[in-house]
Amino acid sequence: MGFLTVLKKMKQKEKEMRILLLGLDNAGKTTILKRFNGEPINTISPTLGFNIKTLEHKGFKLNVWDVGGQKSLRSYWRNYFECTDGLIWVVDSADKRRLEDCKAELNLLLQEERLSGATLLVFANKQDLPGALDLDGIKNILELDKIKTHHWKIISCSAVTGENLLTGIDWLISDIAARIFTLE
Amino acid sequence: MSVLREKVDSISNKPLPHLESRVITPEEVLKLTKITDTYLCDPDANIYDIDFTRFKLRDLESGAILFEIAKPLPDNIEDNVDKNTENEEIVDPNAGRFVRYQFTPQFLKLETVGATVEFTVGSKPVNNFRMIERHFFRDKLLKTFDFEFGFCIPYSRNTCEHIYEFPSLPPELVQEMINNPFETRSDSFYFVDNCLIMHNKADYAYNGGMST
Repeated sequence: MGFLTVLKKMKQKEKEMRILLLGLDNAGKTTILKRFNGEPINTISPTLGFNIKTLEHKGFKLNVWDVGGQKSLRSYWRNYFECTDGLIWVVDSADKRRLEDCKAELNLLLQEERLSGATLLVFANKQDLPGALDLDGIKNILELDKIKTHHWKIISCSAVTGENLLTGIDWLISDIAARIFTLE
Repeated sequence: MSVLREKVDSISNKPLPHLESRVITPEEVLKLTKITDTYLCDPDANIYDIDFTRFKLRDLESGAILFEIAKPLPDNIEDNVDKNTENEEIVDPNAGRFVRYQFTPQFLKLETVGATVEFTVGSKPVNNFRMIERHFFRDKLLKTFDFEFGFCIPYSRNTCEHIYEFPSLPPELVQEMINNPFETRSDSFYFVDNCLIMHNKADYAYNGGMST
C-alpha cells in the first residue's frame, strides 16, 4: 500500500489521470476520442495499436489511451492496465449480435487486479443508429447491476453527433477526483 | 556529453573506454542546458524499427491544420530504396533525423495547439518507450516534453497527440526568435528501457512571409 500512496501523492501534485478506452473493434473508441477533442471523424480506420491524447480538462491533465479492439490485439490490453484511474468501456449499441462477446470481455477486465481501483464508465454508443438498443437494454444484457467491485455508470451517447460525450467524461473525472485527490 | 562523438574520435588509439557502446539515459538528457552538437546515438541504434510516419500540428481554437507531413506508404518507400541502390547513391546516414520548420510570426501567438506524431513498430514488442523533447532558443530552455508511451505492440501503428497551451514568452524574446531564424532548435530523444535508441533534431524560423 505504501507504493500506491506515493503514486497517489505524485498524481495529486500534477492532478494527472490515466484513462483507458477499451471495447470490441468497431465500437467507436477512436471516434469518441477524436470527437471529444474536436478533430474530424470522417476518415477513421481500425486502430492497429494505440492512440493517445494528453489534454487539460477541468484543471486535470488527462492521459487517454485508446487501444485497438480487434481480437488479435485484445491480449495486449493488459500492457496498458498499470496505473489506470478510469476505464471507459465502449459498446456498439447497434451490434446486438456481439453483445454477449462484449459482456464477456468486460467481465474479464473487471477481474483484473490492476484495474481494481479504476472507475468504470460504460458508453452505450451509436444511439444515432436506427435499431440501437437503449441504455436499459445494454445495462441488462451486460448485467451491470451485478458489478459491486467498481464505481460505475452507463451513459448513452453518439460519437457522431457528440451527444453526451462531455456528460460521460465529466462524470468519470469527478468520480476519480473524489476517490484519489481527496486523501489528505 | 554533447561532444561524445568527438571524444570517441580523439581517443580512438587508446585501448580502454568503450564510449561507443555507452548508453545515454533519460537523466542525462534532462540535464542538458543546450542543444547537442552531435547525435548522441547512431541511426542503427534503432533496433526496434520504430519509424515516424506522420507529424501534424493543429490549432485547437480554429481547428486549422498548421502543418502536416507524412511519409509515403511502405510500397513507395521500397521503390525508393530500389532506386537508390541501383544508382549507388551515397545516402547521408543522418538524413531523416533532421527537420527544418519555417513558420510565420503568427505562429508564436497561438494559444492551444495539438501536436500529433504517428509511428510504426517492427516485429519486436517495445517496452517502456519514452520520448523526451527539449526546445531551446540559443541556450534558453523553452519547453521540455517528457512522455512515457510504455508498451508498443509488434507491427503496430500508433499515434499520440499532445494538446497543450503554448508557453507564454516575453515579447522581447518572441521578437528575438523572429529576428534570428533557426536559432530556435529542438532535440528529440527516444528511449526503450532507459537506453537511447533514436535522436532527432529540428530547427525553426518564425519570419516566414516577412521580407528580410
